[in-house]
Amino acid sequence: MDVDTVPANGTPTGQPLGIAHAPSPCRTLFDRFKAQDKPAFIGYLPFGFPTMDLSLEAFRTMVDNGCDIVEIGLPYSDPVMDGPVIQAASQIALRNGERIHDVFKAVETVAEAGGVPLIMSYWNLIFHYGVERFAADFANAGGAGLITPDLIPDEAGEWIEASDRHGLDRIFLVSPDSTDERLRIVARNARGFVYAASRMGVTGERATINASPQRLVERTRAADAENVCVGIGVSTPEQGATVGKYADGVIVGSALVHTLLDTDGDVKDPVQGMGALANTTSALADAIHGCRR
Amino acid sequence: MSVLDELVAGAQHDQRAREQATTLAQLKEQAATMPAPLDATRWLKRPDAIPVIAEIKRASPSKGHLADIPDPGALAAQYAAGGASAISVLTEEQRFHGSLDDLDAVRANVDIPVLRKDFITTDYQVWEARAHGADLILLIVAALADDDLRRLLDLTHDLGMTALVETHTVEEIDRARAAGAKVIGINARNLKDLRVDVGKYRELADGLPDDVVKVAESGVFGSVELEDYARAGADAVLVGEGVATADDHVLAVQRLVKAGATVKASEQTPLSEHEGPYFGQYGGRFVPEALVSALDELERVYEDAKRDPEFHRELARLNQQYVGRPSPLTEAPRFAARLKEKTGVEARVFLKREDLNHTGAHKINNAIGQALLVKRMGKTRVIAETGAGQHGVATATVCAMMGLKCRIYMGQVDARRQALNVARMRMLGAEVVEVTLGDRILKDAINEALRDWVTNVEDTHYLLGTVAGPHPFPAMVRDFQKIIGEEAKQQLNDWYGIDHPDAVVACVGGGSNAIGVMNAFLDDERVNLYGYEAGGDGPESGRHAIRFAPGTGELGMFQGAKSYLLENSEGQTLDTYSISAGLDYASVGPEHAWLKDIGRVRYSWATDGEAMAAFKDLCETEGIIPAIESSHAVAGAYKAALDLKERGVEHPVMIVNISGRGDKDMNTAGKWFGYLTDEQSKALEANGAQGNNA
Repeated sequence: MDVDTVPANGTPTGQPLGIAHAPSPCRTLFDRFKAQDKPAFIGYLPFGFPTMDLSLEAFRTMVDNGCDIVEIGLPYSDPVMDGPVIQAASQIALRNGERIHDVFKAVETVAEAGGVPLIMSYWNLIFHYGVERFAADFANAGGAGLITPDLIPDEAGEWIEASDRHGLDRIFLVSPDSTDERLRIVARNARGFVYAASRMGVTGERATINASPQRLVERTRAADAENVCVGIGVSTPEQGATVGKYADGVIVGSALVHTLLDTDGDVKDPVQGMGALANTTSALADAIHGCRR
Repeated sequence: MSVLDELVAGAQHDQRAREQATTLAQLKEQAATMPAPLDATRWLKRPDAIPVIAEIKRASPSKGHLADIPDPGALAAQYAAGGASAISVLTEEQRFHGSLDDLDAVRANVDIPVLRKDFITTDYQVWEARAHGADLILLIVAALADDDLRRLLDLTHDLGMTALVETHTVEEIDRARAAGAKVIGINARNLKDLRVDVGKYRELADGLPDDVVKVAESGVFGSVELEDYARAGADAVLVGEGVATADDHVLAVQRLVKAGATVKASEQTPLSEHEGPYFGQYGGRFVPEALVSALDELERVYEDAKRDPEFHRELARLNQQYVGRPSPLTEAPRFAARLKEKTGVEARVFLKREDLNHTGAHKINNAIGQALLVKRMGKTRVIAETGAGQHGVATATVCAMMGLKCRIYMGQVDARRQALNVARMRMLGAEVVEVTLGDRILKDAINEALRDWVTNVEDTHYLLGTVAGPHPFPAMVRDFQKIIGEEAKQQLNDWYGIDHPDAVVACVGGGSNAIGVMNAFLDDERVNLYGYEAGGDGPESGRHAIRFAPGTGELGMFQGAKSYLLENSEGQTLDTYSISAGLDYASVGPEHAWLKDIGRVRYSWATDGEAMAAFKDLCETEGIIPAIESSHAVAGAYKAALDLKERGVEHPVMIVNISGRGDKDMNTAGKWFGYLTDEQSKALEANGAQGNNA
């Protein structure tokens, strides 16, 4: 029995954390939005792109222009779920010396601006940093949760434990070919929301979105997921409005990254870039927030 | 007075109060009416699981209030539904806020063993446990003198119950054993930071015989600690807070049970028949959810095929009639003479000639196997990555033969140094896509192939070329390659009259040829196994693909599996380098990582220089031009011979796997040995067909 661990003064100090039982930050937001019958707008940008300082400004710009939840991407050398635009942006960030311990500044920036900060990361980065250490630093910075594109619930034991201790949301993905059994496994282990990929494939803009995401959202809800957001391939305000009619949130990535790049794929002049980011964010926010009216 | 003394005194005080209401004689009568206790030892040790003892725990002195638990019976039922093997009920009232009523409620609600956890120092308490239906009781060695411990243990056993005997030190473990304990709880919390100290657990548990059930008793919160303890040899774990305070108690126990089963399965022997998804702590499926259905389908179809004699007949037919198997096992006496010159070791060296397969390498063994599965799955399109081009050529070849659409991804750097193979693939009707992203080598080709697969998984099979990647690839590719070692074993017997080799030597990139030649010998301890990685310019140079040497690879997840990985301080994949494109990979198959950890295979490396010298040696002595990849194994033969000498193996019989032929490497070798001028080799590169840009 753990009697010998009582400190001399008899106060419970220094123990490993128990389960936080804090409310899910994303769920809290979705509850509020549901009461107003509007979907949330979730925007993605890689951290450190185009530079660390500019990326902090970009995250602030996104929140100021109507982005409710910010998905802060950690650049990775081998991003198998990302298309060319995000790959290029991540490469630029890595070349500019992006460091994982700086990402918590971005988390603070988003939280201070009034947005809900999520991190999107390939698993090896978190694993290498130390799962428990990451969870502690992330929670301390005001982080809400983590999106894990290459971590399925079956492999997530360490993350489930750490996120439970620190009250962080766990956002796993589902895709159109996920079986009902897989949807149930994901929904049961997720916290905050489930990320539904609108189509099979990697991130990137598409001219059209077919009907499959709506069906996937319905199936995921039927598998007991409380909140389901749709991403991958959503890039225009029109697409955002269409998806927002049935999803709890709409996730846009490449289209936002695009605003900071010129036609050759090089980084735009920062003033121009931020202006374009603000305009695109605000157009998306208006369309998504207003789509059910 | 220590805390333990206080708690014991408190428990005895509470007992005296209860004795006023119920005498020992009454307890004994009550105990006689109870159903016989369950034999908990049978529940707490299993070959396929780590039994979980889930605890009804409201509070502890160290953490204070934990959970209200208004209905302990219902909570116990939830634990049982989650798969718990026993329920622990704290009955101490003062500090843990438990009671015998809790024990009654739990007993009434579950059919699995129930543990009474209290500060038990008297016969009265033992009888009390039995009278309330307990199957197990806790005895704390630190709280008991030897005589008392023995007396209480004997009484426990006489009443048909089992005692979980809690210990903290080696000395306490010795006392527990001397007293006849069958189930020993080990409390291995690091008192400084109160974290689980698996090292301390190992130290304490070391030397306990197999007939003692070892229970890890403290600090288990979730699957992380359970896995740590299980890998350190614990038979069962006791979990309190982690399950008692969970939002979903059933799920919390389920996760623990699943983690335990996973650990058990991951360490199963015989080694040669070990199945995924885990090899020790390595392997798994670190992939996007979008690939899970495809991997499940592949696993299912492969399992069906394995049981289908027709599949094996077809594979054997193609191996014989199309690939040209069996590949010979050639004795290399002149090379052996050179080996003696260089090392002083008199050895018989046999070369397993995978270079003589159709397409010139072992890669076709796997390509054919998987292509047959593609047919069974009804898919029409195949994609593959290639480094040296051998797997790409093998895949293009079988796709041509079976009429499948084929696209090969190849890093631009590799495509340039293997231009002739690019031409071969295109000749065979494959589309070759040169990957210009990232470092433009093998790993980047795999990334692109994975992106393609995620997008087109419905009609496309990813024909992965090595024993890496997500489950089921490592075990499946191993199965298709193990014919190499099986043949070699048979041929050594039939052709040369030798019962077994003393050593088997192979090069290791992803590791498929090495696993292939080694699998048949994994469970034969007489056979020393050696794997050689690509040393590039040497481990200190930073220009290499050595994953296993100290200071090189670290534990990480890469391209679907957990294994050793070359990564920087940020967890980003490091650039790798080798003169051989086929060994130029940042990670290594998970089975190799496991075989390294358990010491079954000895891994080292050969540098570019050593490999090229060995390349020339084999050309000159035996008239066999090995692939530069395989030349790392040939170079390894010199190193292995010296190691065998050190281990006292006289006149060793060595099998060296020649995984492929070196025709494709003539440009590189010509340059290396100065047979080609820079201009000539540039012209060769320019003339070599390059692939299309994606």
